Amino acid sequence: MNETDSTSCSPTDSTAHRPPAVELSGIWKRFPGVVANAGAHLTVLTGTVHAVLGENGAGKSTLMNVLAGVYRPDEGEVRIDGSARHFRSPADALAAGVGMVHQEFRLVPSFTVAENVVLGAVDRIVRRQSIESAVGDLAERFGLATDPVRPVWQLSMGERQRVEILKALWRDARILILDEPTAVLTPGEADELGGVLRHMADDGRTVVFISHKLHEVTGFCDEATVLRGGETVAASLPVNGTDASTLAGLMVGSAPMASERPPPCVVGEPMLEVEALSCLGDRGLQALHEVDLTVYSGEIVGIAGVAGNGQRELAQAIAGLRPTTGGSVRLGGTDLTTSTPRQRFIAGLGYIPEDRIGVGLAPRLSVTDNAILRTYTSHRKGPFLDAGAATNHCQDLVDRFGVRTGPLDEPIAGLSGGNLQRLLVGRELSDHPQVVVAAQPTRGLDVQGVKAIQDLLVAERGAGVAVLLISEDLDELLMLADRLLVMHDGRVVAEFNPETARRHAIGEAMVGHVATGAAT
Amino acid sequence: MALVVGVVLLMGSGHDPIRVYERMFDASLGGSRAWSVTLNRAVPLGLAGLAVAVAGSMGLWNIGAEGQIMAGAIGATWVARIGEGWPGPVLVPAMLAAAVVGGGLLALGPAVARARIGVNEIITTLMLNEVALRLVQWLIHGRWKDPDSHGFPLAPMLPEQGRLPNLFERAHVGVVLAGVVIALFGLAASRTAWGYELRVAGSSGATARYAGISLQRKILTVLVLSGGVAGLAGGVELTGASDRITEGLSNGFGFAGIIVAALALMRPSGVAAVALLFGAVQIGGQSIQTMGVSSSVSTILQALILFGAIAAGVFSRYRVEMVSGDAAEAVA
Amino acid sequence: MYLAGTGWRWCLATPRRLSHDPGAWLVNEASVIGLLEATVSFGALLYLAALGEMITEKAGILNLGVEGMMAMGAVTGFVVALHTGNPWVALAGAVAAGAAVALLHGLFTVVMGADQVVSGLSLTILGIGLAAYLGKGSVGRPSGAELSSVDWGPLSDVPWLGPVLFQQSPFVYLAVVAGVVAWFVLGRTRLGLALRAAGESASTADAAGHSVAGLRLGAVATGGALAGTSGAYLTLSLTPQWAEGIVAGRGWIAVALVIFGAWRPGRVALGALLFGLTLALKTRLQTFGVDFSPILLSMLPYLLTVGVLVAISIRARNRPSPAPAALGIAYRREER
Repeated sequence: MNETDSTSCSPTDSTAHRPPAVELSGIWKRFPGVVANAGAHLTVLTGTVHAVLGENGAGKSTLMNVLAGVYRPDEGEVRIDGSARHFRSPADALAAGVGMVHQEFRLVPSFTVAENVVLGAVDRIVRRQSIESAVGDLAERFGLATDPVRPVWQLSMGERQRVEILKALWRDARILILDEPTAVLTPGEADELGGVLRHMADDGRTVVFISHKLHEVTGFCDEATVLRGGETVAASLPVNGTDASTLAGLMVGSAPMASERPPPCVVGEPMLEVEALSCLGDRGLQALHEVDLTVYSGEIVGIAGVAGNGQRELAQAIAGLRPTTGGSVRLGGTDLTTSTPRQRFIAGLGYIPEDRIGVGLAPRLSVTDNAILRTYTSHRKGPFLDAGAATNHCQDLVDRFGVRTGPLDEPIAGLSGGNLQRLLVGRELSDHPQVVVAAQPTRGLDVQGVKAIQDLLVAERGAGVAVLLISEDLDELLMLADRLLVMHDGRVVAEFNPETARRHAIGEAMVGHVATGAAT
Repeated sequence: MALVVGVVLLMGSGHDPIRVYERMFDASLGGSRAWSVTLNRAVPLGLAGLAVAVAGSMGLWNIGAEGQIMAGAIGATWVARIGEGWPGPVLVPAMLAAAVVGGGLLALGPAVARARIGVNEIITTLMLNEVALRLVQWLIHGRWKDPDSHGFPLAPMLPEQGRLPNLFERAHVGVVLAGVVIALFGLAASRTAWGYELRVAGSSGATARYAGISLQRKILTVLVLSGGVAGLAGGVELTGASDRITEGLSNGFGFAGIIVAALALMRPSGVAAVALLFGAVQIGGQSIQTMGVSSSVSTILQALILFGAIAAGVFSRYRVEMVSGDAAEAVA
Repeated sequence: MYLAGTGWRWCLATPRRLSHDPGAWLVNEASVIGLLEATVSFGALLYLAALGEMITEKAGILNLGVEGMMAMGAVTGFVVALHTGNPWVALAGAVAAGAAVALLHGLFTVVMGADQVVSGLSLTILGIGLAAYLGKGSVGRPSGAELSSVDWGPLSDVPWLGPVLFQQSPFVYLAVVAGVVAWFVLGRTRLGLALRAAGESASTADAAGHSVAGLRLGAVATGGALAGTSGAYLTLSLTPQWAEGIVAGRGWIAVALVIFGAWRPGRVALGALLFGLTLALKTRLQTFGVDFSPILLSMLPYLLTVGVLVAISIRARNRPSPAPAALGIAYRREER
């Protein structure tokens, strides 16, 4: 089983004669409105651990889903161990030995580990004990120690991930794909995982994983491929021979910024002050670690970072939708730390949530109903809601912010993404807030929609509002922000001046590789 | 509806369908006397339907209307017993008020359980149905037994002043009352801030929080209110259509109310119309018994109307979560 | 909890009444044996229907039509027995009737994704109504075929246990067998694992290659078949007569029983015996000289169920509830 020398970290000559375990060439994949993969390619040698790097939207997940049979490529070829394959479903891929561990686990919480592992791949009669010991043995073999009898709901994220990996191994996957596996792990668990992956590679299996964290890439991998904009910009770089800043630079690219920056603005008082803010994420892990930031009136502060590093939780905590475990939020001197979302709105905090539909807008309600969501109490006449005033307010919003909609009393479900966002943003801005927190405001919008929202935010800035802009689009941030902060792992790790910062220094900060004195 | 008519025609086999339908129609909608009877029947159906619709507009299921009707009847009867000598205009409103309270009380337990702990209200309200039904049984057999009724236990008749006056033909004032209540709720739902908050809470719990609406309070008030309306249905049925409290008073109105509300898409505005339809079907069904056709035909008809609606995909939107530790979750 | 408390207070009140008149105890061996026998009988009646509903819910579907399915099973069994004189054919008919009604529910909910509460309730209404219609001509008629008690030979003569356990109708033994089979299949076979997965996390079951729709439909049909069997027990063995409304709310008890037993076959069986005891006591309280109203006693199963549900919900804050996680939620596979 062991063809490679288990002590070395790079593929040896003995594998040179074998075809690569995975060869993806010229993969194109399009979705409505976006090209996810534009001729991407990837080559992975058997018995290696291979990292796939890239920013959000670079096409990594799509490419991996193609390999795993979840998506079918529009063009291009997939070769496993040298032979061309056409996967029509994940089951086909599994039959070829390709198993994927997704970011969202597909486990049944009330089942035991063993039951989850064997679901769908077990004999007619399930002999509890033999299944359990078989699963236990498999786990031992790969250093994935888990008690097969424990119910999954009791397990930590790291343990649950092991179960997912075991699922693939149980079905004898020779090629294992992991999508951002360490996003849900603590640093200690991440190291353990690294060891497990190494072990599997030594066993002759092939591991491909998507990551943003440079230290993982340098720590556990043999080679790395970098994707950007749907294309492969660097393939199979030997990790030992490449330096971290080169990798980071490749990720963010060095496109010159020829875009128009808004005219400089007079910066006033500090309007939003966040001090030592900490909070927990959805899964109970610490999402924010004592974050400090200040936004002055008349400026846009951008927050850059790879998704999943605390930006979402930061926005929610400031808006009052997520309880905090420490620290404070102040708006213009008033402490809002214990205020409800409504109170914060009344105090002058506008919030544009990441989840447009479902938090920001009520999907089944009419346009008017949504328009007055935050301000409906001011339209009251006794117990009644002044329908006329509400409709006028809505019409006003629609006009001012250019929302294209059908009749106002129809459900908003029919509106396009851009118009929904215009409505949402317009509603938040309509009460003249002093601070606006915008989380991914232009995500998923077409070119016009993006411009419209960006213009709105810049206009607010011009009017003296303090804007906190969180975005996955680095270009957008570089164009609009007066100051740029980078978040990694729940902390603000660097601050940059967007006009003068070097792109790949930002990239390095985003992956956690902060050189001393990175703030320029 | 075309689907429904087609299926309905199938049922007519065995007897001359045309004559059957003719008779049904005559009995239910032909002439003012028929109308009055149909309207009477539509009252409890409509109020029960309203009760379920009020809760349903927020995504909550009140399956306990059957029991709450009974609880309302108990409340009204109790007032009748202690207020023996009161004049009509005082007694009747007091009885109805007690009916509302009775129904609301029965719903209080499930409401609190749902609001505070997230206990699924379907089961709790369902269980209390049977409890309330048995409570009535117990009272009739025991404390409230009419000493003059030998052998077969009966509650004594309500005093003359404890009945709703007549409106026209056989119809009683309850028709007007029901209409007013339904209209009031319809108005409240669409025109008041409270109705607005209900809509938001029913649409998405997260959005409600974002808007500053307290989900717990809403759940509590809506379920208790729903119970109260169902209780009122019991009170009106008691004082209007019946002359004493009996074990069969609720007569399936509670369950029918669920169907009525569902067909009316949980909107008060639709409840009145659907209740009338069902009332007509039920009365018509009763009348054709003399023609040798079983009364259960009308039950079947009602169910078929429902199936037609189901087939038309009317109900494919809601979700039910059995047990949730978080009260704010699982609302639509 | 307050309801459970009220219930307890009533129970506590009883001994005090008894102590006033010790001579009123009419307990003797015969009456106790009779009570236990009835407990087992009623228990089996409830268990059959509850087991069926449990299987359905385990797969993720809530079927509130149990009362209707039992009624259909009861009337079909009786009518077929009248026409054929063969109880086993009658039973087969009842099973088919129950399964057919259930499959309607399955069609609406699994295939069309309609709301499970509405569909189930309307089937109850339909089932009861249709059963009354079909049974019109059979009210008061003597049974065409009965399934009388099974004779186990010497075992039946064992004191105490004999009559209670070994002189019961074949339906009781059927219930026991069904329970064991269900326990085995659910816990120890691939099918059972898949079915439970469909009820806990339909997307996971789907991803693992199982057909969620197929599993759910099968579970619903099985539930209907068992409910039909339970109904047939009433008209072919227990009473054995047909009358409108013969099910008398026991279908709702079965629904409650599933929750009371926390969706576990063993616990549901114990609960069935407990609820069966309350049913048996209803008519026997007098003979025991107990001054407690049988009507109030009959509230007990429902109150207890509410209490259990509240307790489950409170505990669900820290650990997952025993309810199948996907219960009541329609499943639609997302597009690729």
